[in-house]
Amino acid sequence: MVYAGPLIIGFLLGFILGSRIRDNPESEMKFTTSVYIIFIIAAIILAYLFGPFPWYKDSPFANGLIAAAIGIIVGKLIFGRKPIPSEMEEE
Amino acid sequence: MSTILKLFAFPAALIIMCYGTLTILGGHITPGGGFQGGAIIAGALIFCFVVYGLKKMPFHISHDFLAGLESAGALGFVFLGLAGLLASGFYLYNLGVDIYNIVPVFIKNIFDYPDPLHAGILPYLNFVVGLKVLVGLSAVVIAFLEFKEYDTDEEIEEDLIEEED
Repeated sequence: MVYAGPLIIGFLLGFILGSRIRDNPESEMKFTTSVYIIFIIAAIILAYLFGPFPWYKDSPFANGLIAAAIGIIVGKLIFGRKPIPSEMEEE
Repeated sequence: MSTILKLFAFPAALIIMCYGTLTILGGHITPGGGFQGGAIIAGALIFCFVVYGLKKMPFHISHDFLAGLESAGALGFVFLGLAGLLASGFYLYNLGVDIYNIVPVFIKNIFDYPDPLHAGILPYLNFVVGLKVLVGLSAVVIAFLEFKEYDTDEEIEEDLIEEED
């Protein structure tokens, strides 16, 4: 059985952070889908190397880290699609 | 900054944020917790600020967002403390654990953290402290970067005069 606590709080924190990711028109760097695919693969590898953190025995992964990574991706998909608003650029 | 660093910094910052989240989640039984995890997440944001600069940042960290997050963290901490005070008479009483057996079972179940250790409100306190710390440390760096736009005191005065007009 996977414990719900780390999943919920990890997802929530990741969602808050992921919702702030925006495409910046002023920047020459464009972060496409490939960046997020690499990120999720790296997060899964890292979670496997961490093991069930902290001293849980529910799965071979650090569930909180996976939940945070999924939260970042979901937050980016829901709130992070628009570019940075123009009034912020003027500031 | 070099292009290689700009390519690397954003995905690395995302991974560091996940690690900070994990540090917050393990705070009730491992070294670490809200402050340390929040500092790690703030470190990821600061990494991006240093590499991309304030204007080309891939994260949209507005003043309203920082104020809202810090307020949510502070209010969450106060709420958890007052909940303990109202239910048991002790400020910040751990309602999810209830070592004195003075709280009704349904309140204990509400504040119970769903993992095998049943640490009560401690993980929630770590979470709200993490929010406050990540905002606090990020805000300091944002303030420093905004001051960096000005090279001399005269430029600051000119900008202030323009704002007054």
